[in-house]
Amino acid sequence: MSIELKNIAKTYDNKNWILKDINTKIETGEFFAIVGPSGCGKSTLLRMIAGLIPISSGDLQIDNRSVINLPPRERNLTMVFQDYALFPFLDVEANVGFGLKARKMPELKIKKRVAHALELVDLTALKTRKPRELSGGQRQRVALARAIASDAKICLMDEPLSNLDAQLRGKMRSEIRELQQRLGLTLIYVTHDQIEAMTMADRIMVLNNQQVQQVGSPLDIYQHPSNSFVGTFFGTPQMNILKAHCPHTHNQQLIIDPFLTFQSPLDLPAGDYFVGVRPVDFDLTTHVTRTNAFVRSVEYLGNEFIIYIKLDDSAEIRVVTSEKIDLNSNERVLIRPKNKFFIFDHSGKTISFMKGVQNNGRTSKQETQAIIQ
Amino acid sequence: MEEPLNRKLKPLSNKSVTLKTQSIEKSSYDVNAHDKFYAWFFLGPSLVILSIFVFYPMMRTLYLSFFLTNSLGHPSVFVGFSNYINLLTSSAYLDSLTATLIYVIAVSILTLVFGLLLAQTASKKIAGINIFRTIFSGTMGVSVSVAAIFWLFIFNPSIGLLDQVASFFHLPTINWLTQPSWAMTAVIISTVWMNLGFTFLIFFGAFQSVPKFFYEAAEIEGLSRSYQFFHITLPMISPTIFFISIITLIESFKSFGLIDLMTAGGPNNATNLLVYRIYQDAFLSGNYGSASTQSVILAIIIALFTLIQFKLLEKKVTY
Amino acid sequence: MKHFCRLSRGCPIIRKLLLSAFALALTLVFLNTHVNAAERTKVIFWHEMTGPAQEQLNKFVANYNQSQNKYTIVPQFEGNYNEVVQKFLNTHGTDASPALFQSMDISTNQISSSNYTTPVQKFIDENNYDVSKISAVARAFYSKNGSQLSMPFNTSQPVLYYNASLLKKYKITPPPINPSYSDITRVAQQLYQRSGKKVKGLSIEIYGWFFEQFLANSGVALANNADGHEGTPTSVSFDNPAAVAAMRWIQTNIKSDAFMNYGSGSNASANEMAGFLAGKLGMFLQSSSSISQLTAGTKDKIGVTYYPHPDNKKANGVSIGGASLWISNDKSAQVQRGAWNFIKYLMTPKNQAAWQVSTGYLALNQDSQKEAVLQKLYHRYPSSKVSSDQLRKTMPNTTNSGIFMQGLIQERTFIQTAMEQIYNGGDIQKALTEAQQSMNTAVKSANKANKAKN
Repeated sequence: MSIELKNIAKTYDNKNWILKDINTKIETGEFFAIVGPSGCGKSTLLRMIAGLIPISSGDLQIDNRSVINLPPRERNLTMVFQDYALFPFLDVEANVGFGLKARKMPELKIKKRVAHALELVDLTALKTRKPRELSGGQRQRVALARAIASDAKICLMDEPLSNLDAQLRGKMRSEIRELQQRLGLTLIYVTHDQIEAMTMADRIMVLNNQQVQQVGSPLDIYQHPSNSFVGTFFGTPQMNILKAHCPHTHNQQLIIDPFLTFQSPLDLPAGDYFVGVRPVDFDLTTHVTRTNAFVRSVEYLGNEFIIYIKLDDSAEIRVVTSEKIDLNSNERVLIRPKNKFFIFDHSGKTISFMKGVQNNGRTSKQETQAIIQ
Repeated sequence: MEEPLNRKLKPLSNKSVTLKTQSIEKSSYDVNAHDKFYAWFFLGPSLVILSIFVFYPMMRTLYLSFFLTNSLGHPSVFVGFSNYINLLTSSAYLDSLTATLIYVIAVSILTLVFGLLLAQTASKKIAGINIFRTIFSGTMGVSVSVAAIFWLFIFNPSIGLLDQVASFFHLPTINWLTQPSWAMTAVIISTVWMNLGFTFLIFFGAFQSVPKFFYEAAEIEGLSRSYQFFHITLPMISPTIFFISIITLIESFKSFGLIDLMTAGGPNNATNLLVYRIYQDAFLSGNYGSASTQSVILAIIIALFTLIQFKLLEKKVTY
Repeated sequence: MKHFCRLSRGCPIIRKLLLSAFALALTLVFLNTHVNAAERTKVIFWHEMTGPAQEQLNKFVANYNQSQNKYTIVPQFEGNYNEVVQKFLNTHGTDASPALFQSMDISTNQISSSNYTTPVQKFIDENNYDVSKISAVARAFYSKNGSQLSMPFNTSQPVLYYNASLLKKYKITPPPINPSYSDITRVAQQLYQRSGKKVKGLSIEIYGWFFEQFLANSGVALANNADGHEGTPTSVSFDNPAAVAAMRWIQTNIKSDAFMNYGSGSNASANEMAGFLAGKLGMFLQSSSSISQLTAGTKDKIGVTYYPHPDNKKANGVSIGGASLWISNDKSAQVQRGAWNFIKYLMTPKNQAAWQVSTGYLALNQDSQKEAVLQKLYHRYPSSKVSSDQLRKTMPNTTNSGIFMQGLIQERTFIQTAMEQIYNGGDIQKALTEAQQSMNTAVKSANKANKAKN
């Protein structure tokens, strides 16, 4: 079942907009993630799709039929909550069958469905337990089973993994993804965790400042962020944003310091810009006489290092390297670009995606010009 | 993150545990005297206070219950269990017991039901609901004497509010406080009214603490409001219901103020509850022996009720 | 503050001045208490009076303390009658106990048999005090074997009040001054019928005192051994013909709907009073001390009669109610004498007259009748003289001098329960017999506990 959001907006007081101009179409069987920092309105958007919160303006269509005036139940969807919404006084089986029982489904049919759902999430053995006797991951799976049992083809998930520890989260990510594909669910998945979005979703909608920043596949979003927010939001450690200066028009030089200059693929008018560099895209040299930065601290992650470095012009950057290096605090180093970077204008909008030396971005030269003017 | 750490520590921690137990066993002999001193030092004062104000009166009450007391209130004749036998075979006492049971059960149930209703009403998001929340919790600030005056005015036989309303609608007027059957009703109404403020507040707090997502989940399942109330709200607040029911039950067994001020146990002993009877026997008639016997019986009854309640309800209160 | 500190620390003269002023103040305080303690003996006086009676009592205390310099009476209000009995018994022999205290009529036997008090007879004899001036019925209530145990104080008798203006409005002949049961029934019925059932004819509060008075006025003893005046009672009689007749009279009126039942307890009398003052009730039995509240509360003319008596039988006269003053024996002779002197002061004709005028309690000193204030009261409200007359005309005998026994509080509880049953249509004989059985059990057990000789 497809879901289409048309100019959806939300306000509580007709003055301040929580969300506006939300447009997208989610295809049948798609895993669609809505991601953004806390307070960006992603949960509100999800609840509007569910029908728990009325939509202030715009239209919502499921299978090309407007559902704006339908109560949640008639939208034929199911929802998994951050805190699982498991009833502490019911055992696993009763929790999974709660909605079915309330809808007065025959007892035998409920039993069958619940058994099937529990089997899918591998919880059959624990069906007589109470929620408090389960681990976080098991509770999460009960919530999933409930969604499965309801047999709705659309499933909404609101930060379903945020209460789990990192390891379990990783495991559940693949389990959810697998289930979604196996059951052919159209899944809308809200999260603040970019890794979840990147690893699970077919497409991602990035929300910030009440608006959609970008909609695209994980790869697209990572490689072609539409602005510095999207650029910094995806990828760990975060992309470094450096203030750069272009001294002359047609010069194509973006200067941060004498050693750290970036060659723009396009002509830029003279002025101030932002250069975005992912931590892996710096070249770090030690034991040289000419340096432009010093080491603040080093974190060792096993397979790579995160090095916190302060440039002489006082900007702080993060550099990731997998080379085995021996660094001391306050050691002087030389930081140079690897020529893989993004250029953003003063408002953060992307001007250029640089990969190697040639323009790899989708923004053509003409378009860039148009943006700048 | 935690997993590998734990795994790493496991063999280590096993060792340290065995080490610890050894050290405790070894040192326990030397520390004992010291510990004993501290135990007495810290527990002693409260033990003394408890003995004076709790244990002694309890034992004294039990002791007195086997005696007749003279006009000075001193135990004078040991009568064994005859105080108990006399009471339990006295129809007046048994009537009192029945009246108390009716009162306690009616008050407990009505307090629970109306407390829940008020809390449910106040949980609705309507403009001006805050005013109602204040009004509903209002009786918490009302003293028993003020409440008694208020209800006495309402139940007044000549100029009372209720009878004026009744006569306005040409309904028969009721002598609320002088007819035995109605007096109990009147006292129950007043007590429930008195209880409501506190009960409402506790229930309202409990309602607010039920996570919103349960109701959202229910909305998505398309469950009706009443189904949500009975199958989500009530079970979720069942520990609170249990708490309130025990508190109300014990409190109503101990009801005194409203009875004293409104009916003084009358008419025809219809509202002569056990506690009021004890007061009358001890502090008006000076029959401390019989009053002590009644106190002991009352204590047993309350203990029994609480026990039954725990047994019955602990199955329902499952988390 | 800072400024002051600096001064006192900095300059020695000021510091010295301050110090000496403080010392002087201290000395004065000590001297003052010392002077008082040396010259005046403190007499703690417990009472249970409220409202106008409390005001008047405090006035007496203030006047007395001013009139002499040997004693200081310290009045302390102790709550209701019922609780004070146990309070007195439990505090006796401690610092908290009073030297002089007021205790209600029906506690007389209990207080006297505690042996915690000095009978006032001792001081009467010492002083050759002339008690004959004090009302005989009142004295009889608080004496045993000719010895005065305590001094009657706030004293009232039950009377019948009627709203004379209402009776006049409906052209009903008022009841005679010494009415029989059927006289009252007649007025009650007429008032109820002629007012279009808007005004209830009669109310009698459910109160053991009234029951006792029905027996007293019929000349029938409630307890054996002549109501305890000739020995400790061993049994009581509630279901005698006199009691049944009185209850039947009440039930007749209840059945005709002319009777208003206000129940029992202090709420009952308050409601009854309110109903009467609002013109919704024509007649009721109440203490003679209610008169001042009634005359203050309505512009209607109020009539008063003696306590109703059985048909075809002469009234034996009713006993009194109220409370008396006792002297505790755990205080020094000097303190006890102080208490006695204050009692004497209260009993003077002048003070007794003032007492009746301001409270409605009856003046017990016969000479009070000549006092100008009382004469003025009688002139203004002639009906207020009726209760004084009733008291004066009553010849004391064993059946109208109160019941001298313990456990009367319980007796009243039992009686009131029986009355409640009767008022609600219950069987008279059955109700009274049950109450009588309960009381007899209580009497037996009390006598056993007190090891009384039969």
